[in-house]
Amino acid sequence: MSAPCPCCQADIAPAVHRRGGGRSLARKTADSVGHAVTDVLQNEELAARPGLLQGLDPRVKLLTLLLFAVAASLVHSVWLLVALIALTMALAAASLVGVGSFARRVWASAGLLAFLVALPSALSWFTPGQVVVSLGPLSFTEPGLMGVATLVARVAAAAGFAILVIWTMRWTDLLRALSAMHMPDVVVATLAMTHRQILTLLRTVEQIHLARESRTLTRGTTRENRAWVTERMAFVMRKSMKTADDVYDAMLSRGFTGAMPSLVRLRTRPRDWMWAAASVALCVAIVIADRAVGP
Amino acid sequence: MDIVAMHIPDGYLGPQTYVVLWIVMIPIWVVAARKVKRTLKTKQIPLLALGAAFSFVIMMFNVPVLGGSTGHAVGATLIAIVLGPWAAVIAVSIALVIQALLFGDGGITAIAANCFNMAVVIPFVGYYLYRLVAGDAPSSSRRVVSSGVAAYVAIVAGAICAGFEFGIQPYIAHTASGQALYAPYKLDVAVPAMALEHLLFFGWVEAIVTMGVVAALARTEPALLETKPAAKPLRWLWAGIGVLILFTPIGALAPGTAWGEWGGEELDSLVGYVPTNLEKLGGLWKAGMPDYATPGVSNTLLGYLIAAVVGTVLVVGVTWGVGALLARGRGDDDDAASRSTAPTVPTG
Repeated sequence: MSAPCPCCQADIAPAVHRRGGGRSLARKTADSVGHAVTDVLQNEELAARPGLLQGLDPRVKLLTLLLFAVAASLVHSVWLLVALIALTMALAAASLVGVGSFARRVWASAGLLAFLVALPSALSWFTPGQVVVSLGPLSFTEPGLMGVATLVARVAAAAGFAILVIWTMRWTDLLRALSAMHMPDVVVATLAMTHRQILTLLRTVEQIHLARESRTLTRGTTRENRAWVTERMAFVMRKSMKTADDVYDAMLSRGFTGAMPSLVRLRTRPRDWMWAAASVALCVAIVIADRAVGP
Repeated sequence: MDIVAMHIPDGYLGPQTYVVLWIVMIPIWVVAARKVKRTLKTKQIPLLALGAAFSFVIMMFNVPVLGGSTGHAVGATLIAIVLGPWAAVIAVSIALVIQALLFGDGGITAIAANCFNMAVVIPFVGYYLYRLVAGDAPSSSRRVVSSGVAAYVAIVAGAICAGFEFGIQPYIAHTASGQALYAPYKLDVAVPAMALEHLLFFGWVEAIVTMGVVAALARTEPALLETKPAAKPLRWLWAGIGVLILFTPIGALAPGTAWGEWGGEELDSLVGYVPTNLEKLGGLWKAGMPDYATPGVSNTLLGYLIAAVVGTVLVVGVTWGVGALLARGRGDDDDAASRSTAPTVPTG
């Protein structure tokens, strides 16, 4: 599909017809930036669903999910880690975020990488022990494979709890929770403004790359592309610094004093306390059970 | 979203490591916040927010390297050069926190570890090395070269820290049968692996990006690169190097040889033979301080320390000399504009 150039209305050749095929550098970056923006918007949509975790007080939810992530880092038994993975799946289902997409996200963002990185450590060169699988000259040992399984299970469990935080908590709720937990105003204000400016700058970067894509007929040399990319980075930096000045002027003109008052008062309800008590009890029980059964 | 090579996810570091790094990072954040507040006043919020947003966004650019391959830069040295190292600590930390909490890049328990490696080590090593090589009133060409050298060394330093954090896990937590409970590779594999990928690939990406952006800023917005001469600009660099030198005997913890750095005898014991050419060329060069041992010093730890001091002096001297030569070669005549504008951004 071709598109008219916004300034001269000339018909622009589509990227897919370029010599060499495949995505150009500009298209690749524009796509990844577009995905990042989509991810943020999708997170907000998931966090608005009427699920179990979405209904909890943001402070309670943040602290308890972090507690589970810490518990996952303390557990040594691979079976208990698998139980924690099952718990993340159950919480994803109860929070209406889609178990399939949740599992894919956990595996794609953490589990697969952990498996690929750790697998060579199961070779007898790195971890001596009883050989259980031999593939030609490669011998995998039992403690080595158990080590890989433990690492992958731990990474998947911890990533699962982190993704539950991301998918079930609106960014504004997270900031309110941090503020209510006595995080300094300057940190909360900076986080809030950074989030907003990231989206603005991402949109700028996407437009820069799409403009390049729509005005370029050849791929260009590596040197040319590199010079173009670093020039654009410098442009984004100049724009960032200028925007900082503009935002500062706007803040002063509106009487900003550094305080970050919130119109929404967070209140815990009985179900928040029940959830918190159950989470703490479960984490303690898991760690005690782990020490009892050993790795 | 693509993963930048140094983000540590949850599960790779045990609590003995990530808790210690939280304890290390909290006072660093407090000091950084105080220093930034003193220099930037209420302007700190928009400046740090935009710095953090830029730090986040710069990691999204695909940078062409060689043969069609692309990489991502961290940009922490660049931010330290523009905002100063303490502001860079806050800006890069916030970018990393948002990456962890919004995009799932890097773990939540590992936030402090990632901040230590990328928001403390890289900005401080990069900034002070930049100041060291560039001098007080650098020409724009010298600035560009200095920024590249600083970015390259700084990201390798950050990677070595990450490799060290990975590498100590098997010593800290394993079962009786030798099964690793966290990151499975010991120091002799983890440190060289992290260092090599950054020496060979990511270091160049970082250097290319930093040099390119500094060159563009020197042409279009030189005021952003101006720095106030600090009272003792190199004090923190030397202090940091001193601490690292004191830690060098930790290398004695790792038994055996770093992975891939075997000599003839070790290869013979590992695979049963020595490749002919390796045997032929292996004795071509006799190192002055083989295996970081100092000739005439029998104490291993003292030998390590002396080797670290000698190595540091050589690296700093050669870097300084090469930086000065390259800068002279590229001409010093275009620095007048970059010195003419008053600084807009205070530095640490």
